[in-house]
Amino acid sequence: MRLILRNLGFYLLAFWASITLNFVLPRFMPGDPVSRMFAQAQGTMQPDQIAQLRTLFGLDDRPLWEQYVSYVKSVFTGDLGISITRFPTPVSEVIGSQIGWTLLLGGVALVIAAVVGNLLGIVAAWRRGGVLDSAFPPLLIFVGSFPYFWLAMGALYLFGVSLGWFPLRHAYDVGLTPGFNGEFLANAATHLVLPALTMVLVSIGGWMLGMRNTMIATAAEDYITMAEAKGLSPSRIMFRYAARNALLPSVTNFGMALGFVVGGALLTEVVFAYPGIGYQLLMAVQGLDYPLMQGIFLTITAAVLLANFLVDLVYVRLDPRVRVR
Amino acid sequence: MAPSRIPSRRPRAVLRAVTATAAAALVLSACTGGGAGSSGAGDTSGNQLLTIPREDLATFTRNFNPLSPQAAPMTKEAVYEPLVVHSMADAKDTPWLATKWEQAKDGKSLTFTLREGVKWSDGKPLTADDVVYTFQLRKKVLGGLEYLDKVTAADAHTVKFSFNKPFSPGFFEIAGQSIMPKHVWSKVKDPAKFTNPNPVGTGPYTKLERFQAQSYELGRNPDYWQPAKQQIAGIRMLAFSGNDSANVAFTNGEVDWTQSFIPDIEKSFVAKDKKHNHYWFPPAGAMINWQLNTTKAPFNDPAVRKALSMAIDRDQITKVAMNGYAEPADCTGLARTYDKWRDKDLAASCAWTTYDTDAAAKALDAAGYKESGGKRTLKNGKPFTLDISVGSASSDWISVANIIKQNLAKVGITATVKTPDWGAVVSSYEQGTFDSGIVWSNNGATPYEYFRGVMSTVMVKPVGEKATENYHRFGDKKADKLIDAFAAAADESEQAEQIDGLQELYDKDAPVVPLFTGPEWGAYTDTRFTGWPTEKNPYATLGNRNSSTILVLTSLKPVKG
Repeated sequence: MRLILRNLGFYLLAFWASITLNFVLPRFMPGDPVSRMFAQAQGTMQPDQIAQLRTLFGLDDRPLWEQYVSYVKSVFTGDLGISITRFPTPVSEVIGSQIGWTLLLGGVALVIAAVVGNLLGIVAAWRRGGVLDSAFPPLLIFVGSFPYFWLAMGALYLFGVSLGWFPLRHAYDVGLTPGFNGEFLANAATHLVLPALTMVLVSIGGWMLGMRNTMIATAAEDYITMAEAKGLSPSRIMFRYAARNALLPSVTNFGMALGFVVGGALLTEVVFAYPGIGYQLLMAVQGLDYPLMQGIFLTITAAVLLANFLVDLVYVRLDPRVRVR
Repeated sequence: MAPSRIPSRRPRAVLRAVTATAAAALVLSACTGGGAGSSGAGDTSGNQLLTIPREDLATFTRNFNPLSPQAAPMTKEAVYEPLVVHSMADAKDTPWLATKWEQAKDGKSLTFTLREGVKWSDGKPLTADDVVYTFQLRKKVLGGLEYLDKVTAADAHTVKFSFNKPFSPGFFEIAGQSIMPKHVWSKVKDPAKFTNPNPVGTGPYTKLERFQAQSYELGRNPDYWQPAKQQIAGIRMLAFSGNDSANVAFTNGEVDWTQSFIPDIEKSFVAKDKKHNHYWFPPAGAMINWQLNTTKAPFNDPAVRKALSMAIDRDQITKVAMNGYAEPADCTGLARTYDKWRDKDLAASCAWTTYDTDAAAKALDAAGYKESGGKRTLKNGKPFTLDISVGSASSDWISVANIIKQNLAKVGITATVKTPDWGAVVSSYEQGTFDSGIVWSNNGATPYEYFRGVMSTVMVKPVGEKATENYHRFGDKKADKLIDAFAAAADESEQAEQIDGLQELYDKDAPVVPLFTGPEWGAYTDTRFTGWPTEKNPYATLGNRNSSTILVLTSLKPVKG
């Protein structure tokens, strides 16, 4: 319990540091939202409109420290302000409408990649030199080292345009109304396949190799030999004795990755026109939309810290050594 | 050791669940995959929806507030309408909600006569009060319109705009304003932040049939004032997060009308179906300039600016960097949209926009920037170098800058192309700290805005103070007089005189180095709809988000059977 409390204190400090950075960093960028918008319009907006937009957005001209105080206040009250690139939609609504798709896409891809990758790693290490061990790691690393954009475009053309197996875009078909019914869920699932599959393809190699390498080290331990000597079944030794101990670094990685899922998958969203936080963040950065940027960064920060905290908790349970210290 | 079982079992359980889901997804996709996503392709039932992609919006927000710069697409094109529609393609004004308008002799007022029988989509009639209210609201929410003293309704169908000075360019701003219903907006508490989810407008397509984050549909306005022109059943907007995914949909025949950039359009789009796939890039955009910071030596010398202008190969720039989609500039600086204002004799006689490396070298020699060993030096003995800034997102303009760099090397000047983010570039423009840069210009209905933006002293801000136009900080008092006289002139022949004078000054001063007229993008397929604007019938541009879009929407006819 004391350990958890100590961790909690650390997390609070980290949270404060990161929300402060979230506030400061965007303000180091040159320009302001209205002149960005003007630059992006490239001649289709009249200069007179600049002053008009400033009036409309009610841009913050207060000194930085005052903005900071009200920012910290807003973080705790949950009122993140109004987005500028999506004016007049509140930031919480912009994030709220996208985060579900981001979590679905990122979560599904991460879970599949981590679970399948780890299992492949376990089996590969257990049957060292076997077909799985010699063929898979180089193959997966080969696929994983393609530029993601290229791989995703290739998959889109092959499975979407040429073969027509999967839809080309969006989270569900035009004309469907979201709801928890079979038709909609099935449709959303088919739309999820290509984006998730490409994300799994590029990340699975890392999971497999990581697991395989720790697993090899664990498999050489004396207690494995001991277990074999006791005549336990190979699968029991593989999973309960070797894999369980080799799993720890993977759990850490999983926690980290889980936190970052919230940041969205920009390239996937761009190629498959999938809704999500990644593209929204890009737009916010390009448009210097401080409120939206702060909102998204805050969500990511909170998610990463939360995921880490959960991993810490899981660790306490998984690894008795942590409890002793 | 009870807990020890949990971690070893969980992976297997999870794996089973995951494989089951994945298998289910694959099976489902086998059933529905083929038909999915191909909505609309090949539909010629007569009720097909005009499908338009937005490559720059990954998701839509249900915001149909015409005062908002982030209003959903089609708010100002299909839901709300202006008094007069101006088309950049043929520079014509089409009477719309107003049937006629008259400028007072002293240029200090404008009177519009409203069309009879126009109704809002909720059945109420459009009156002069709506127009008066619209302008009050706009001034309150957005400010601006400083020349506008007051707006009054003379009777139910006549609106008078009184100015505090003679100001003819005000016509385009006033005539182009989307008119909003007073009976709806006067009840709104905070019009600036109102998202207007169920819009009431006078336009042809006002009925929001369905709205989702990545697509929405607008249906016919049952009370439209020209029902004969409501041939298409409705408009469907699709959201895309970039050109690539939008272009896939377009080349696949799933959308009708796009404005996203398609590289090598002849091969990647037209060749797929020569009969139906078309594009038209009229030079209706703004003049794109290479601006030189005139607060810095040697760019404060017009002879140098002209010499640099002669050193660059505009044909190569438009052919190579702009894919042949743009047209080279001449020394009047006027974009092609302003052809009727152009002083053709002047354009034919002046030479500083014609590519001539030898003449450029001689001019630089004469101006006192000597060359030795292939490198030119400034008057203070330092090497003649300059930076060209372009935002990193504009790949075509970066190519433009690179061609300029190569051209300048031939006359012994070393240029460096700098491509940070647009935000950083624009910030250096605003503060006046840049050397040179590729920049857009004001694109108004007349050349007034262009000349004001490049030559008026009124807009010149000292270095370090934020400028919103005239980043290159060049002003000429003589130009001010002509620009003011233009704004005060009541009729076009008088205005033409001022513009002639401005062109002469432009030719003398070379305030910026004009490069090319930007194209207005647009491509379409006529498998489902016909009646598109073309080079032979240029009633509008092929842009689906500008002032002439409404003309296209009311001209298209569905293909039946």
